[in-house]
Amino acid sequence: MGHARAMTAAPGTDGGDTPTRPPPRTGAGASVYGMELGIPLDGCRVLIADDSAFNRRTLTRFLQWAGITQVAFAASAEEVMERLESFAPDLLLLDAAMPRMDGIGVCRSLRGDPRWRDLPILMQSALHSDQMRTVCFSAGATDLIAKPINPGECIARVRYHLERRSMVRELRAFHKRVERDLRQARAMQLALVPEEAELAALAERNGLAVDSVFRASDEIGGDFWTAFEFDGTRVGIFAADLSGHGIAAAINAFRLHTLLTRTPPEEMRDPAGLLRQLNGRLCEILPLGQFATAFYGVIDRADDTLLYAAAASPSPLLATSFGFQPLDASGPLLGAFGESAYTNRRVPLRRGDALFLYSDGLSEARDAGGAMLGEDGLLRLAERAAADAPDRPLPALMARHAAIHGERLTDDVTALWITLR
Amino acid sequence: MSAAMDFSVREAPASTEIVLSGRMTFADHDTFRDVIATFERPAGHRMVFDLSRLDFVDSSGLGMFIIARDTAQRRNLDFAIRGARDEVRRLITIAKFHTMFNIAD
Repeated sequence: MGHARAMTAAPGTDGGDTPTRPPPRTGAGASVYGMELGIPLDGCRVLIADDSAFNRRTLTRFLQWAGITQVAFAASAEEVMERLESFAPDLLLLDAAMPRMDGIGVCRSLRGDPRWRDLPILMQSALHSDQMRTVCFSAGATDLIAKPINPGECIARVRYHLERRSMVRELRAFHKRVERDLRQARAMQLALVPEEAELAALAERNGLAVDSVFRASDEIGGDFWTAFEFDGTRVGIFAADLSGHGIAAAINAFRLHTLLTRTPPEEMRDPAGLLRQLNGRLCEILPLGQFATAFYGVIDRADDTLLYAAAASPSPLLATSFGFQPLDASGPLLGAFGESAYTNRRVPLRRGDALFLYSDGLSEARDAGGAMLGEDGLLRLAERAAADAPDRPLPALMARHAAIHGERLTDDVTALWITLR
Repeated sequence: MSAAMDFSVREAPASTEIVLSGRMTFADHDTFRDVIATFERPAGHRMVFDLSRLDFVDSSGLGMFIIARDTAQRRNLDFAIRGARDEVRRLITIAKFHTMFNIAD
């Protein structure tokens, strides 16, 4: 094939060996071909793989007009591999057919190597049949330019693929950074909830058995819970779900956690009072339409009662020898309205009784057919788990839940099963 | 499974009724912006959310009701919700919305 002859000399050149009279440049835009659109290309590196010296020179000239000065060459398949490694180009201009190397084969083998899977490969071919084009594309070419090569088209295509690559790179870098940040944030959020050994010790000291699940639907979310002991006989359990998803909800969860940790212990005895206070403070900091649903209960081992107040949390389940009973957890949303009033409710919680708390991520899960579990459905699931695995019902419940609704839920999940021993 | 939230508007001289339908969740914030745009009415006008065709609302959806209520207050509109059923009724009951909202049932 007459590759060299197939190449059109650029206007303003003599087609000879030295690129003469380059267009005057006060920057890439000086030439009609150096379109000043998008990103500057002077930092880009292009590898030209062509066994014709004439073609290499001509292509180099075209690239120069686009402002690309970092150019390397390869005249054989071996050289392509070597230059790819040493030069690390942003784009490969590859001749589809050369006497000592098959451009199609080179392209195919590059696409098989993860390092070059993303490299834009612009193929030049003198054969214009649809069949030839199909062969090039199926070998992994990003784009084709037909010989004889027109400088305007060549530059436009090179520019397009370099810009696209640069944008993809930026997006990848951004994605990576966000992923890393979210991983860190997730670790911080997991640190909000009691650490396992600490929780086990607290449970042991207070004659409780506590099983817990805490999972965010995305990297981070708006659920959080905590447990703490005070006054010698009391254990406080606080669980909240901040409205929305993702980062905003997580930040609000941190805010609520901070407010909670700054509350003096004597104010922790009165659940309704605590919620009223938290509501007032959250109203000052949360934007309109953002709020938390919450449950705060105080288990008192002196008289085996549960004193609790709630802010529209899902109904906790009380398991006694009479079966499961949903507790009234109605109450104004936390942080939505300034003057909300909360109510204390007291129920007996005797040895062997259990309290099952959960976030709506669990009760609002939907099965493959789209049907929502609902609080009634969750109650039946809890009854069944307690019957199947009386010692540790929560893992049994979660396993059954996952079997119906999948492991990946669309909302954060908190679940706490607290049994009085 | 019913679709994402949708709404239709019924106009009368002194009142506007917005019929919400489907499932109202976190994903419906954009649609809800269009709902809020209908609150561009003269002071004293009555705005009613008809929830009878709404199948589900999650807690983010409750946040949208709060934004609607606030918008109405700022524009001196008379705002009410009505017709909530099943899950929607349950949620607005446990959030004690009757203490903050005009519920016209």
